[in-house]
Amino acid sequence: MPIIETRNIHKIYPNGVHANDDIDFAVEQGEIHALVGENGAGKSTLMKMIYGLEHATSGQIFIRDQEVQIGNPQDAIEQGIGMVHQNFMLVDSFTVAQNIILNRETKQGMQIDFQQAVADTESLSREYGLAVNPDAKIEDIPVGMRQRVEILKALYRGAEILILDEPTAVLTPSETQDLFAAIRNLVEGGKTVIFITHKLKEVIEISDRVTVMRDARKIGTVETAQTSERELARMMVGREVFMQVDRPEVARGASVLQVADLTYADSSGHQLLKQVSFNVYEREILGIAGVEGNGQTELAEVLTGLRPPTTGEAFINNEQILGRGPRSVREHQVAHIPEDRLTNGVALTSSIEDNLIIDRYYREPFTRRRLLDINSIVDNGASLIREFNIIAPNGAIPVNALSGGNMQKVVVARELSSSPKLLIAAQPTRGVDIGAIEFIHQELVDQRTQGLAILLISADLQEVMKLSDRIMVMYEGEIVGIFPNDESLTEERIGYFMLGAEVQAAEEMERFV
Amino acid sequence: MTAKIISSPAESSSGMSFMKKHLLLIVGGAAGIIVTLFVMNTLFDGSMEKMTGTTDWQNILLVNALVGACIFLFVVELKRQAIRVLLTVVVALLLGFLVTFIFNLDSAERFGAGEFRAQVVSEAEPTENDEVDLEYNKRRGGEFNKPNVVAPVSEISWTFAGRAGDTVSLLAYAKNRRSEVDLLVELRDESGAILAAATSATETQVEETFDDLVSVKDAVIEGFELPADGVYTLFSRPEEIATETVLSEALGQSRLAFEALLLGPIERVNRWGVWIQDAITLILLGMSFAIVFRAQQFSLGAEGQLYFGALVSGIIALNSPHVPGIILIPFIILASGTAGFIYGLIPGALKAYLGANELVSTLMLNFVATRFFEMVLNFQLKPPDAGYVASAKFTSNAVLPVIVDKTQVTMAVFVLAAVVFVSWLLIRRTPLGYEIRIIGSNLRFADYGGVNTKRTIMLVMAIGGIVAGLAGMHLANGIHRQLILNISFNLAFEGVVVALLARLNVLVVPFTGLLYAYLRAGAQFMERDANVSFEVVRMIQAIIILLITAEALVTFFQARQKRADIDEEGHAVAALDVADDS
Repeated sequence: MPIIETRNIHKIYPNGVHANDDIDFAVEQGEIHALVGENGAGKSTLMKMIYGLEHATSGQIFIRDQEVQIGNPQDAIEQGIGMVHQNFMLVDSFTVAQNIILNRETKQGMQIDFQQAVADTESLSREYGLAVNPDAKIEDIPVGMRQRVEILKALYRGAEILILDEPTAVLTPSETQDLFAAIRNLVEGGKTVIFITHKLKEVIEISDRVTVMRDARKIGTVETAQTSERELARMMVGREVFMQVDRPEVARGASVLQVADLTYADSSGHQLLKQVSFNVYEREILGIAGVEGNGQTELAEVLTGLRPPTTGEAFINNEQILGRGPRSVREHQVAHIPEDRLTNGVALTSSIEDNLIIDRYYREPFTRRRLLDINSIVDNGASLIREFNIIAPNGAIPVNALSGGNMQKVVVARELSSSPKLLIAAQPTRGVDIGAIEFIHQELVDQRTQGLAILLISADLQEVMKLSDRIMVMYEGEIVGIFPNDESLTEERIGYFMLGAEVQAAEEMERFV
Repeated sequence: MTAKIISSPAESSSGMSFMKKHLLLIVGGAAGIIVTLFVMNTLFDGSMEKMTGTTDWQNILLVNALVGACIFLFVVELKRQAIRVLLTVVVALLLGFLVTFIFNLDSAERFGAGEFRAQVVSEAEPTENDEVDLEYNKRRGGEFNKPNVVAPVSEISWTFAGRAGDTVSLLAYAKNRRSEVDLLVELRDESGAILAAATSATETQVEETFDDLVSVKDAVIEGFELPADGVYTLFSRPEEIATETVLSEALGQSRLAFEALLLGPIERVNRWGVWIQDAITLILLGMSFAIVFRAQQFSLGAEGQLYFGALVSGIIALNSPHVPGIILIPFIILASGTAGFIYGLIPGALKAYLGANELVSTLMLNFVATRFFEMVLNFQLKPPDAGYVASAKFTSNAVLPVIVDKTQVTMAVFVLAAVVFVSWLLIRRTPLGYEIRIIGSNLRFADYGGVNTKRTIMLVMAIGGIVAGLAGMHLANGIHRQLILNISFNLAFEGVVVALLARLNVLVVPFTGLLYAYLRAGAQFMERDANVSFEVVRMIQAIIILLITAEALVTFFQARQKRADIDEEGHAVAALDVADDS
């Protein structure tokens, strides 16, 4: 008997988008069920309907064979469904225990019984092996623990079925392992877990069964033991996907970028970059590994001119490039794929054509005799759309009509077509579907093989390891290790450095700078 | 799923859009020509002689052709959305009609109240009799059922003395147009028997026979020969009003009112001039807002810039009585633009370099500008002998040359056409315009791409100022021809509506400005021509504007919602709509 089941679920949004098309989805009691699919495949919509955040256009939901109407999350919680969202819903200035009991407080008279709250939190934490410090404030604890707080919060509300929405996106490898251990614990304790992800490796590792969605439809449900990553990728994308990137060995060339003793402190005086020095060479991808928030964002923004450094210098062709704004950096042939494309990388309501010329609109051939040359702009758009395989009817449509992957291709197309010497690529495949990831990875590697120097920043350690020639680890604004990416380097080893558990000796680091 | 929707092959879709484009041009062109012809036809009652007999008819035709061009641009630029805008206007007008109707229902019921008069008209010699109420040809008045009257009268029985053979006419009529009353009148003899009765008057009676009659609703018994000597009674009261009468009455009134609203502004050349001159001001202001809003800068400084422009051009006009107009006018135009530019540059610089919120700073600067204007006007420009606060009239060399006789439609039309063209060129065809558009779409993206966003923000607010300064010049040197208090009549904020309605598209602003000015002028004539009180006119106008603005806001919020959906999913949920809408 499935603990939760949907039958013939349809969801049509008011704007006519068919987000779920006849979904039959069933989860057995006590299993870990992975739900995979590309962005926009409809998996989040399905889960939101189960959790009462959205309502199905037609179809039924059953819990333990009883048809239920889930009007809002409150109903879902009463039915024993808990959901941990990608963006945590915690009160930062409250303690862990306060967050867990929020809205379910035990009261003594008029007062909330905080001692009881702490005791409850501790016992729950012990029972499921989810270690938290009940008295710590949320703002002071690491991401991994925040996630555990979210899970405990759901359990405290009596969740029997836990929906985890891309829980590993924000975790380091070792934190991921901790989470998996906790999930196994939960299942042993009789809970059921639905695990939304698009990382296939994790699916194979943790789940009992997998449901694959594509284009609003369910493609199928398979036993994890009887499938493979490759098989799942094929189901997700609808064609054969090559997960491996073809990265030929090439000898790196001369140093393109020299960064010397770069320091950056924000307005409140927090040192976000501390004495960072490194080089990036021609025909090389230098990958930066690190848990997000350890200075990578600031490094990219300082190097591209978006923030002025506090001290330190960076040279291209022996010219200091910092402190004169983004245009000056770009004129030194530096391209930049920004971390958050929706905030920095595109103007959503502007046309694709306009988005493709932000770094060059003021130069010939786009501006002639002080007027924009519309033909050049349109031609530039059309040729880049073709070359980078951007799926769009023409260049005049606004970027927000594109899928995430195609938006990112717009960014990549613009940046790579500016004939750069150095590319700073931050999270180049975040939120991008598998097909586009494959394309972007191959494009980066090809450009590197042809001579481009690439500084790759990614929170996805596997991506860093797959693409980089050298890997640099950042922890709390410092470089804690630089390694050539060869067989001897393992994810576990980098993981230690990422958590600051290990720091490379200075002379060893010197060898690889 | 996005890919599925939008991945139609490029060639066929470009072929389609080619066709579509042509269709649009045809529809837009036809709409423009029809409107031009319609306006000309209404203005001159469809008579060629009347048209060619009017002074400056060529210029009237030219301006109306420009109106047609605005319609053309509106259709071509907004495409399918144009239909939506038009539908909104139609719905708003229908709702306005409903409100007018309801108010007229009320006034129809008031026929039972109001003041009236009655008299007996006769050529015969009056009979001496102190006992009776009326004498021949003596008017006597009273009030029916008026609120606040201690002893309201619901009917009258006034006696008069007559001799056999006297020919008398009995009149009962409303005291004035404002208080129409539907009356009946009866002639009774001493025993109370009805000798004659009437419930209405004929057109002829109203217009020719009896001067006192107000409308056909009055009652007249004409030329009755009295059968005997004695005392007769004139009996009168308001007619019982049947529901049907009330309805048809209200409907007729509403129709009248709406005719005045819809056709009033183009019935006569001088009225048409009011529309056009208002439209020029509104279009300039709308353009100013559209340019600034395009960069997502919510500057409301146009009011202040307008005052500054008006002040500068006024001062120049007052101080150069002997400079020939051909030199003076271009100079005034330049100076007012520069004044607006400078007054826009201030909040621009404050925003760009000090981070001062432009909404607050411009509102404060508006205050400064209007008060400064008043101060200079009061203490420097007002002639000592003037009875009210205003400058001297400008000399004719400083007044914008009128192009249509008996109106204030001036050369400003051409200035406006140039402004529209230059604004279009600026926004769509210059690197600065590209920067403005990109900043309006995503400021951080512009920063990331290396745009000097501070400079652009400052400039865009100053450029908006130029246009607002020109609007001030148009008001001072085109319409009022002197500086007066409250010269803008708070038009500046109505410019916001014009800009929003045009979806910040500089080529659509002329149309929305014309539309808005038309409604304003129409409302004015509705009040004048039809029996609709000023308050009702204002309410109807507000309802129409509210609906139109709401429509613009709905689109605005839908766009935001779409963006929010995209942010959430990291993926475009609605490919279809967006692609066509922009």
